[in-house]
This record gives sequence, structure tokens and C-alpha cells, in this order.
Amino acid sequence: MSKHSRPSGRRVFGVLLASVSLALIGACGGDDSDSGSDSEALQELGENEGQVSILTWPGYVEDGSNDPEVDWVTPFEQETGCEVTSKVYGTSDEAFNLAKTGEYDVIAASGDLSLRLVAADEAAPVNTDLVSNYDGIFDFLKDTEWNSVDGVNYGIPHGYGANLLMFNTDVVQPEPTSWSAVFDDASKYKGKVTAYDSPIYIADAALYLMKHNPELEIENPYALDEDQLAAAVDLLKAQRENIGEYWSDYLKQISAFETGDSVVGTSWQVIVNSLDSANIKAILPEEGSTAWNDTWMLSSQAENVNCAYAWMDYIVSPKANATATEYFGEAPNSEAACAETVNPDHCEIFHAGDEAFSEQLWYWRTPIAECLDGRTDVECTDYSQWTAAWTEIKG
Amino acid sequence: MTAEPQEMAASRTPGAAISAFLSRRPWVRLTALLSVPLLWLVLVYVVALAALLVTALWTTDSFTGEIDKTWSLDNIETVLTTALYRTVTLRTLGLAVLVTLIDVTIALPIAFFMAKVASRRTQRILVVAVLTPLWASYLVKAYAWRSVLSGGGLFEWLGQPFDVQSPGYGMTALVITEAYLWLPFVILPIYAGFDRVPDSLLEASGDLGGSGPQTLRWVVMPMIVPAVVAGAIFSFSLTLGDYIAVNIVGGTNQLLGNLVYTNVGAANNLPLAAAIALIPIAIMIVFLTAVRRTGALENL
Amino acid sequence: MTVTETADRPPRPAPEQAAISLRGLRKEFGDVVAVDGVDLDIEHGEFFSMLGPSGSGKTTVLRLIAGFERADVGTVTLGGTDVTTRAPFERDVNTVFQDYALFPHMNVLDNVAYGLRVRGVRKAQRRARALEALGTVQLGHLADRRPNQLSGGQRQRVALARAIVVEPSVLLLDEPLGALDLKLREQMQVELKALQRNLGITFVFVTHDQEEALTLSDRVAVFRDGRIVQLGTPQEVYEEPRDPYVASFVGTSNLFDSAVSQQILGRAGIHALRPEKVTLTDAAATRTDEPVRVTDGVVEALGVVAETIYLGAAHRVIVDLEAGPRLVVLEQTAGALAAPEHRGDVVWARWALDDVVPLSAEADQ
Repeated sequence: MSKHSRPSGRRVFGVLLASVSLALIGACGGDDSDSGSDSEALQELGENEGQVSILTWPGYVEDGSNDPEVDWVTPFEQETGCEVTSKVYGTSDEAFNLAKTGEYDVIAASGDLSLRLVAADEAAPVNTDLVSNYDGIFDFLKDTEWNSVDGVNYGIPHGYGANLLMFNTDVVQPEPTSWSAVFDDASKYKGKVTAYDSPIYIADAALYLMKHNPELEIENPYALDEDQLAAAVDLLKAQRENIGEYWSDYLKQISAFETGDSVVGTSWQVIVNSLDSANIKAILPEEGSTAWNDTWMLSSQAENVNCAYAWMDYIVSPKANATATEYFGEAPNSEAACAETVNPDHCEIFHAGDEAFSEQLWYWRTPIAECLDGRTDVECTDYSQWTAAWTEIKG
Repeated sequence: MTAEPQEMAASRTPGAAISAFLSRRPWVRLTALLSVPLLWLVLVYVVALAALLVTALWTTDSFTGEIDKTWSLDNIETVLTTALYRTVTLRTLGLAVLVTLIDVTIALPIAFFMAKVASRRTQRILVVAVLTPLWASYLVKAYAWRSVLSGGGLFEWLGQPFDVQSPGYGMTALVITEAYLWLPFVILPIYAGFDRVPDSLLEASGDLGGSGPQTLRWVVMPMIVPAVVAGAIFSFSLTLGDYIAVNIVGGTNQLLGNLVYTNVGAANNLPLAAAIALIPIAIMIVFLTAVRRTGALENL
Repeated sequence: MTVTETADRPPRPAPEQAAISLRGLRKEFGDVVAVDGVDLDIEHGEFFSMLGPSGSGKTTVLRLIAGFERADVGTVTLGGTDVTTRAPFERDVNTVFQDYALFPHMNVLDNVAYGLRVRGVRKAQRRARALEALGTVQLGHLADRRPNQLSGGQRQRVALARAIVVEPSVLLLDEPLGALDLKLREQMQVELKALQRNLGITFVFVTHDQEEALTLSDRVAVFRDGRIVQLGTPQEVYEEPRDPYVASFVGTSNLFDSAVSQQILGRAGIHALRPEKVTLTDAAATRTDEPVRVTDGVVEALGVVAETIYLGAAHRVIVDLEAGPRLVVLEQTAGALAAPEHRGDVVWARWALDDVVPLSAEADQ
């Protein structure tokens, strides 16, 4: 560069200023924000769009890529012409954020997610008249507090099941019958205990306290006042000393049990099935368990509404529902589905349709300030407090 | 550069006309040239940082995760006063410092060998060898360490004859994994630093009576300090911001990155996440200021 | 004059008084033989030059003396001590590098004091001695500067000061003036010579510039292909070049091959004649049919001026002799009535037979 053309400091500053202004003018484009308001439920089905995008727990949308034998997506695609893309999530919190991106038409949501989606205007009302298989679903699953709001239905029940106590029979002896294996007796397996990495796991501790520490007067593990939450937190902090690692990625959980880095902890039937190992066993402990009751929901931002309805109708149809819930290890949603299971005893094992048993399970809910157990004299801790508590437990 | 206007007038295409116009107005030229990178710089750095700071001053509705845009210092206060954040900050900082120390200690002799001892051919092979791990995905490497350190894994198998146990998942495993992940980023700048020290300087030192250690201490080290600092900045900042490896091999531990992730992902509390994210930024500012004080950045 | 032969002779013992003694030195880099059997004795207080084109092995010999390279075969003896296997810092020699090799992160004073610092000299003393050395090279006022703030000539002087501050018995200089422009180079030559005289230590000077070597040195070794082809005082090397290679590398020579020698000089063998030994006179009037005649030990040859080049202090005249060869002649401008010959003029070229130097045939060419 020749000397005379070198700009002085002040002129350089001027140029920079001009450049920034230019750049900003270019950057300030139109602000296109059309807010998705809650519309009426669809009245009539149209033509299928040719594709549908599904946000789901693992094991709900199997197209043979994990196991060639396990595929109920391909028949759906052939039947409807809707090509399925799916995204698997590990926790309800993760799903909530993914759902907000608007990239998914259908969402498989547990009870701790469904109402949050409704409250955030991310879920659209579902017209059950357009889902022909809805009629056969157990009545006690319909219009529950986690799939309906003010009489408006927001989803189709899929299946339900309990969080199980899984353990390695080589190490954990005698075989446990109580959640105490991961709480009061956890020190026996110090460094090899695992727990689910989500604030909702606090409910597992609360359920244990509900059975073993009646003086705390816990009525519902999702309705904890500050003292009750503190007791649960203390229990979990004590548990942390014995935890090897927390899990939220079910593949990580599988590898940890395979290598023996984890030997006891909360788990899902689908993980037990995947491990398929003689020394890995899972039970429903005597305290009962926290559980999930899952709902197919329609995104308020769905672009493929017709295919979404087609999927919801297909996945709750007896044959597909039986295959999916049996694979995942949970109770199907209808008598008709029970007739379709490969294992004739499946519905008995998972107590499908057994309302009394269902009462023993504590389905995931989102804790809110207004106590879910009906107490009005205290304010309960909400999910943000649970989250803060959870990070504190992990330290 | 300074062609006469009269000459330029003859036989002009539009392109030539623009070139001529620009050549006589360096300010227009410079402005046009700089606006795109500056837009990038402003958006990515300034706006993003400002947005982060502003977000930290908002609050959030715990049920729906909607952001409530009323100003409040609550989040900052929470982060500063809660013992949890202090613990996690210290853990993260300690990890970053330890990983950086380990990486620099390993990288110095390797880089010295590569730059000053190895033959041209060996040197090329070593550079490729150092670069190769960078082609593999971060997750692949982290999961590889998970497998190596697992019960019955490679580590335990190799350690068996010497009665060495695998450290299991936890801080030790995390330190090993992070040190492995960022080592190439430390070796390469230090290697380049050594490579920039002319052999004649080493000979001159020896010629003047300097022994090997004296040469290293008084000639080589001062000259590669900027390179070491560059490498240290890489390993330090990369470790400081990491939250994935800790999930894979870190056992029950959580780092600042996990707290940010949990608050964005699980709690959906973006403002608190932003407030937590200010901690590593503050640490980096302090770190870089300290480095600047030593004068090491001047030669970067 | 001593020309050291490499082949088959038992090595002479190193004389006690020699500052540097090299015996049978050999060094290979891969397939290349850089130094191929060098024997050499350099006296105390001598200004010794190693002259040769690049790749002739002179720099490698210097690096073998300094200890930067290890000899494959042979010994290096400094002041009677065998240092062949010693590291550079264990040898009492210092080097001025071609690129100066100043430490960029130290100022001039610290650069110069470095050799004292590694010897554990106290700070105050090393400062005083470094300043003294800087004074010797007239750079005392730049002690606080960084090397990158100095000119080439100044860096050169700092490198010198840094090498002499530790008072070595031998100073090795590797093309130290190569990067300087002509004016500065000439000035530095004078200063180097003066410095060497004042310090009274041995200088070993590597250069490819024959004029520089002749100007500065007490003795010169001419290198070719890793060997010393001639060793002697500048005068000996210039006046009595041993073979055509030395004759043409050191200064300019007119070379007569055997046939031409026979024809013009009436002698067998190859001969060299320096351009300044020839005088030219106009032959327009005195021309004869005989192209060459020899009378009283003086050769006279008839020729035609092909080109005249003005050099300032002299003219270079190129004459095509009728007897065959082309002759380069150097004529002092101030002498001979300042009458430059013109192109096409017929001239007598005249020189004494004594000025013609017989050369030995080159080994390989």
C-alpha cells in the first residue's frame, strides 16, 4: 500500500461508522411474526399432505431402522401416503423446547408436558370425531386432567406404564422389592446407582417418602409444599453420594448397564427389552411408582394436519397400538388392542384397563403452585422450584 | 493507482467505470468492503452479547416458559448469592485450569520435538497425526472415552497387570477426556511457535556458552510464550464452555454449561440461563486481561 | 606456501601453537559430501578466510569448528585441545551468523550481555562489559533498542559485539557482510580488520567474495567441492593460482590451453595471464606479417580491439588476437597517455613471459 493512500485514524473511524450503518440498514428487515392463536378444532379432513413430522419418546415410532423386525411405520406410509420423519427426545423438558420450534406436526406427550403445551399455545384442539379408533379407547383414559382443558380435548390417549426398578441380578442381591434399593439401601451399590436426570424425578423421592415417612403427610408426589420438597431434596442429596451417573439418554442407560457401570436404578421396560440380558431384571416395587400416561397431541403450528390425524388414528388402532405399546412395555389403550398383542398375557402383566391398578400409579404431572391434591391452605412448589432444586441436588 | 482522469475517460466499460470511480474514492471502497464482515461482527458478537445481558435482566413464567420483560436484577443476584453456582463455578474453573495445565505440559515437549528435532518427513507425519483426531466427531471421541473408562473397558484391562483401577465416571475421567479433546488445539499453536524460532538463535545461544536448559529458559521460552498463551486460551475457553463431555463421562457432576443447558432445556428459564452464561464470559474477560498484562498478546 | 593434500598421507601432528587444527575432516549430508577430507592449521592472531562458491563446503567447515555439526570422520583441535565431540557451548570460539541471529525479545544490551549471563556474571559487571563491547563497535547509544529497530549494519555490529564480549580466542564469521550494501560493506571491512588487529584474536572468515577475502586476510583457503584447492597468502593465491579453477575464481584470468600456449608462448601446459599484466600499443604503423613474436622474454601479439569498457579507474579492453584466443586487458585510465583504443583498431598486446603462470591441470573437469 502506498503511503499517501493510508487512511488516518479518524477517517477510518468514519468509514467504520458508515459501514455499520449500511450493515444495520440491511439487517433491519421486516418483522414477520404472525402469532398462532388457538383456533377451533378441525371439522373435516382433507387430502393427505404426503408427509408428517413426529416428536416422540423412543420406541413409539419404529420404522425398522433400530430393529428390522420392529416396524409399524412402513404399513402406515403405504396405507396413507404420508411419509414419516421422527425425532426422539429424552425428557419432557427437551420435548417442550423442541415442540416450540414448530417443526413437528404430532407430539407424543406425557402428563408433565401436555398441559404445558396447551398453556403455551403449542397444542391445538383435537376433534375426536375425526379419529375413528377413538371410540374403543378405555373410557377412564379419556378427558383426563392431562389431555383436556375446560372441556376441550387436546389429545388421543396412547398407552401408560410405570417407571420400573431395574437391577443387575449378579450384583444386586437379594432381589429388591422396594425403591429403598436406590434410596436408603443405595450405599450398598455406591457409585453404581443411577437415576433419571430430570426435575420430575423428585416425584420418585416424594412417592418413597409418602409411603415411608407418613408424618410428612404427602398425598400426591406432584403436590409438595416447601417442607415436603425439602425432605425430598434431602433424600435425593443423600442418594447422590451413591449415584454413578444420572441418565436421560436411554442409549447411555443401556450402555451403562451393559458395562456394569450402573447396576440399579429407575428405568423403562423398553430399556429392559433392548438390553435383553438374563442378568438384567425390572420390577414394579411395592410402593407403586411414578408413571406416564401418554397422549398424541397436535401441534398448533402443524403444517400437515391431515397426515397428523391419519397418524393419530393409525397409532391408536388396535393392531398398531398393541404392537407399539407391547414393544415399549406399557399398557395399551383399548380392549381391542389387548386382543392383538403377541404375548396373550401382556395386558394382564401391565394391568391394562384395570382402573384400580391405574390408581396406584402416579402419572407424571407438571407441579404448579395451586396444589394438585386439593390443598388450599398452602402454596405448592412449582416446576421452576423443582428445577432449581434439581440443579442444587446435583451440586 | 493514481491514473489521470483524462486517461480514464477513454474506452470505458461499466466495470472499468466502477473500478475507476472506486480507485479515486478509497473511502467508498473501504466502506463497501468492510460492511459485510462488520455486519457479521456486530450481529454475532455485539448484538448477541448485548442480547444475553438484556435477557439476564428479564424473568420468566415458570409454567409456560414465556419471558416476562420486566427489568429485574433477581437472576444476577441469584447467581451471585446461591452456593450452588459458586460451587459449580469453582468446579468448572478448576477443571479448565487443570486441563489447560495438563495440555500445555504435554504439548510443550511434543511440539518441541515436532518443530526442532524431527526430520522433515517425520514432522509432516506428526502434524497429520495431531490433526487426525480433529476429523472425528466430538461425540465419537467422548463416547470412546466412556467406553475406555467403563467397567471392563480398555483402561481397566491395560491397568490390570499394574493393579490400576479405572477411575470410573467422574471428575478424573472428565479431566482425562477434556485434556484429550483439546490437546490438538494446544499442540498446533505451540508447534507453530517453536517452528518460528530460527535454528540460528538456538545455535547462537549454544555458541555463546548457553547450555540446553539455559537456551530453553532464556531464548526459547520467552519467544514461544505467545504461542503457549494462544494454546492455553483454546483449551481454557473450550473446557469452560463444555457441557457434553461431562454428561458422557462426568458421572454426577455438572458444570456451568450444564446449568445453562438445564435452565434453557429443562427449566425453560432463559433469563436465568443468560445470567449463568455471564459467569464464563466474566472469567474469560478476567483471564484475557491477565494475559494481556503479561504482554503475551502483543506478539500474537 | 603449503598446499595440504588429503590423499594417503599420514596426518601431521597438530602444532602446539595452532589456534585451530583440522585433521581429515569429513562430513556428509545424506548423499552429499559437504566436506571431503580437510586438513588445516590456523595460527593464533591470524585473519584467515575461507573462500569458495556456495556449496563448496566452507560454511560446513566453519560449523564443524563451532560445533553446530559433528564430523563424520576427523578431528577438530582448538588451542591444542581436541574438541571434536564437544558441544558448541564447551568450545572457546564464537560465531557471527550470516543472519546475525540476534534474540528478538531482548534489547541490544541484553543481547550483547547474553554470553556473560549464561556464565553467571553479575548484572552490574555484565552491563559494564556489554556497554564496553558496544562501544567498540560504536553502538553504545543504542543499548535500549530492540533488534528490529536497527538497520542491517547496526545489527551486524551488535552481532559482533555479542560475540567478542565473552573474549573468545577465535571468532568465526559466516558471510557477515553478505547482506549489506556495497558502501557499508567496504566500511565494515575496514572496521573488521581494525577490530581484529586491536583484539589480537584469530578471525576465521567465510566468504564467497574473492575481493573481500584478498583485502582482509592474512591467509586464504580456496574451497571447491568440499576440499581446499589452494591455501596461501592473498598474494600467493592471486599471483600464483594453482589451477584454472583458482585462477578464474580469484580475480580474472586469461587462460591459455596447451595448444595456444604452445603456439604463443612456445611452452607446453596450461597457463594463466592476469589482465593488468598486459599493455596495449597502437599497431597501425608497426604492423608485421608475424602475429606473435617473443623477444628478450617479452611476448608481443597482434590483435583487433573488439570492445572497450570504461570502469572509472581503468578500462577493460577485449582484444581478439590474430593467433586465436581472445584476451581481456585492464588498462589504467590515468596511465598510458589516457588514449583508449577504439573498436576495430589494430594493437600490439605486450606482456612479460615471467608474468605467465603455469597451472596444473584440474583433477576433474
